[in-house]
Amino acid sequence: MTIDQLIGAGVLAATLRLATPILLAALGGVVSERSGVVNIALEGCMLVGAFFGVVAADQSHSVVIALLVAVAAGAVLAGIHAIAAIHFRSDQIVSGMALNILALGLTSYLDYQLYGTTGTPSDLAGVPDVEIGPLAGVPYIGDAIAHQNAVVWASLVLVVLIQLFLFRTIPGLRLRAVGEHPRAAETVGIAVRRTRYWAVLASGVLAALGGAYLSLSVAHSFTDGMTGGRGFIGLAAMIFGRWTPVGALVASLIFGFGTALSFSLQGASIGDVKVPVQLLSTLPYILTILAVAGFVGRSRPPAADGVPYETEGHA
Amino acid sequence: MKRVLAYLILATTVVAACGGGNTAATSSPSPTASATATPKPIQVGLVTDVGGLNDKSFNQAANTGRLNAEKDFGLKTSVIESKKQEDYVPNLTTFAQQNYDLVIAVGFLMQNAAWKVAKQFPNVKFAIIDGAPANDAGNTENLPNVANLFFKEQEAGYLVGVIAATMAKNKVGKAIHNTLCSMGGIPIPPVDHYMAGYQDAIKTIDPSATILIGYSNDFVDQQKGKEVGLNHISKNCDILFQVAGGSGLGYIAAAKEKGVYAIGVDVDQIDVAPGTVITSAMKRVDKAVYDSSNAVKSGSFKAGDNFFSATNDGIAYGKLDPIVPADAKAAADKALADIKSGAIKPKTDLTVKP
Amino acid sequence: MPVASVLFALAIGAILVLVSGHDPIGAYIDLFRGAFGSPYDITETLIQTIPLTLAGLSVAVAFRTGLFNIGAESQLLVGAVAAGAVGARFADLPGFLLFPMVLAAGIGAGAAWGAIAGYLKAARGVNEVITTIMQNYIVVFVMHWLLQNGPMTAPNALGTPASAPIGAGAVLPIIIPNELVPLTRLHAGIFLAIAAVAVFWFLLWRTPLGYELRAVGLGARAAAQAGIDPRTRTVLAMAIAGGFAGLAGMIQVTGVFHRVFDGFSSGYGFDAIAVALLGKNSPIGIVLAALLFGAFARGGSLMQANAGVSAQLVSVIEAIVLFVIAAELIVRLLSARRGRKPVEAIA
Repeated sequence: MTIDQLIGAGVLAATLRLATPILLAALGGVVSERSGVVNIALEGCMLVGAFFGVVAADQSHSVVIALLVAVAAGAVLAGIHAIAAIHFRSDQIVSGMALNILALGLTSYLDYQLYGTTGTPSDLAGVPDVEIGPLAGVPYIGDAIAHQNAVVWASLVLVVLIQLFLFRTIPGLRLRAVGEHPRAAETVGIAVRRTRYWAVLASGVLAALGGAYLSLSVAHSFTDGMTGGRGFIGLAAMIFGRWTPVGALVASLIFGFGTALSFSLQGASIGDVKVPVQLLSTLPYILTILAVAGFVGRSRPPAADGVPYETEGHA
Repeated sequence: MKRVLAYLILATTVVAACGGGNTAATSSPSPTASATATPKPIQVGLVTDVGGLNDKSFNQAANTGRLNAEKDFGLKTSVIESKKQEDYVPNLTTFAQQNYDLVIAVGFLMQNAAWKVAKQFPNVKFAIIDGAPANDAGNTENLPNVANLFFKEQEAGYLVGVIAATMAKNKVGKAIHNTLCSMGGIPIPPVDHYMAGYQDAIKTIDPSATILIGYSNDFVDQQKGKEVGLNHISKNCDILFQVAGGSGLGYIAAAKEKGVYAIGVDVDQIDVAPGTVITSAMKRVDKAVYDSSNAVKSGSFKAGDNFFSATNDGIAYGKLDPIVPADAKAAADKALADIKSGAIKPKTDLTVKP
Repeated sequence: MPVASVLFALAIGAILVLVSGHDPIGAYIDLFRGAFGSPYDITETLIQTIPLTLAGLSVAVAFRTGLFNIGAESQLLVGAVAAGAVGARFADLPGFLLFPMVLAAGIGAGAAWGAIAGYLKAARGVNEVITTIMQNYIVVFVMHWLLQNGPMTAPNALGTPASAPIGAGAVLPIIIPNELVPLTRLHAGIFLAIAAVAVFWFLLWRTPLGYELRAVGLGARAAAQAGIDPRTRTVLAMAIAGGFAGLAGMIQVTGVFHRVFDGFSSGYGFDAIAVALLGKNSPIGIVLAALLFGAFARGGSLMQANAGVSAQLVSVIEAIVLFVIAAELIVRLLSARRGRKPVEAIA
């Protein structure tokens, strides 16, 4: 085991890449749950984002259109969840689970119909990498992070923007009020349902961007179920980060670091004992539990999280 | 009250489904009646393993073979995708009960299930891709109505290994570091056989070449495959051989992004990334399905072990990218001839392990 | 209204089948025939229903205590591994000794694995959602290791890394004679499942502990004021949840596979979340919901074989049924239109 295998520039760069889709899902979760709606359909939103992003890239040959279509697909799926959860006051977890099954079935079905025999086209428009010039010259840091995909940078910017929005702006305060105490929020004139609709739609957009990152930035193709549970990991990262964007970033980075290590440490040995590759793969998950148990501890969700709201007038 | 309502909803779900089914079922005896009038076409049923039809690997190839056989031989064919390991027995039974002539179990995961079902239906013919019937004790027990379709993956791995090593030795194009890598999904025999043959060829052609090996521990996740690829490329790998299904597409994506070469697996993957994929280690599962269907139709079905190897074009190297020089192709063709003649027997055990 | 719900869901499904170029009526006939068309099919549907029910109970116990157990999947796997390990290690013991050992191993291992999540929540405040999600992945990779080239690997010709078979004494017998239903694999695990449903009911509604668990579920603070320590109940609830799921895994090993192998994972633990909620966390509800899922799983294969409807489309229809029924869209839509307050049932 060498220092380079543990914290080399390559490991840090991989950490960022692996954290990004989880971070975007977690940000979606933060926005939705801060408004009081549990959205476990994040996984499904990622998957439709990944798939429809590829379809749009194939049809339009434009990355911008591909990304727009991807996030729109996420918003549509999240919109269905919003109607069920907010308008019909259905069980939010069942709705989310149903939409996850739906997303997996639908994308796999359409993938097979459209690209079953040929695979997705090899000349798919992809999201480009962006190099931050001034960083590039810095030793170590430059190698590690200066050159990353545009979505990676965008997700970091989004962390800052959403953190500021939620905790430093009036609309953000309103959104949190709706999630903490909707009755009180309504009495001061906040439209509870409308706020929640916007929040859930935004969560779909964010998660779908994470899915599009996987298909358009990483893989340049789509394969069935390619999100591999990252929406659920994002959910865990959201809780780990105490429902804050910056916290979610820290959680995603720890998870990404664990995953990066599981690859860089393949073949490494502790003393004379070679660590089996299969056990190395448990690293990110164990690291996450340890980090939460050791440093984060008790975390409290927004008070009205998951509770359907009925307006005074309606009741 | 509310609980009663909830039960009602559920109970009526079942009842409604039953009722709907029954009434409709009575109105459909006509298809079976007409089927007996004309001579019954040969029926072939394919059961995939949990990877599903879209696995970009052997299930997909098997389905291609099924569709080709349907077209060329005028067969009636169907497919069932298994969603759980528990489904293998009932899915195979579904076809056998309907008196299909040939039921094909795709994948080594189904060896025990195929044994169970084939024993119960001695008049139905079965074929197992990548396997032989295995009894409950876990031992192979050949049955007179089951064809075991095996592939010598190590031979395919050897062929592409020859091409890769020849290119690396002569520093062709971007292959300048004489470092060759491969990535498996998980360390199981069919995966390791490919990589063992690959390593064997490289060591034979140039013992000084550097070999790296990794696993994505996944057959689906492309990002994991890509990370292993980027890691390998950072260690100077310039030819990457993937043996990891969908996850391996990420390994190829890493090669494409960094401008080095990749080698596909199972099916011809030259079109996945033209200019990056130089060739593919092919296992002709489609041919195995196609040939077995034909064998049932023509009455030449052979139970027991059937090997698909270099000898009968059951394994091969795929289309070559123009960058592959003539001497590399010649070397591969010579290796192919030597494997056929038995002069070369590619190893099935990995030389370099992670 | 419930009939309307189902018809509505099936109608949407029919449109999808039609759009995909298949005959919807024929497809639905095949779906039904696949699940209930013959005694054999019914027994196969029941085989799917058993683990779904048990995993559903696992999720439901946790829900009743106010906990979200996403980890039924890994608790099931841990139970399977433990049952498989004990069943193979002591394979020579007679059934009256071996079976109880295997049963205890499956339930105990599942319970212990579940209790970890409960303990971390009680002692360190770690949200059980995080722990159980992470545990799901950890078990998958540990099983890869155990079976591929680790301590449980046994040489075999199965083609897939697997453990040695369990002893004959641990195998659950087939309960229907082959003369009656040819080929059936319906095993005695169904009695264990029925017993578990009864235990679930008795425990939650007829014992002080059950009362306490439900009290914690209704509000930890209020429960604490009533002298119930929510922390110990959290650990207990997760242990019980794990025990139910572990039993499911044990039954899959002793009833269906007779060994553990790599790739044992089935997804039952995830379906179980929907099963528990669809069944309103109540005993009979869970059984019916599990039956519905089991019927889709079994019927879907015939739908693909005969009607050519892709397996993915079957999942889509399943999701729509789940969504419409569980979200009670029709119920709410109709009651809203009639100007009534939406059905109490939901709140």
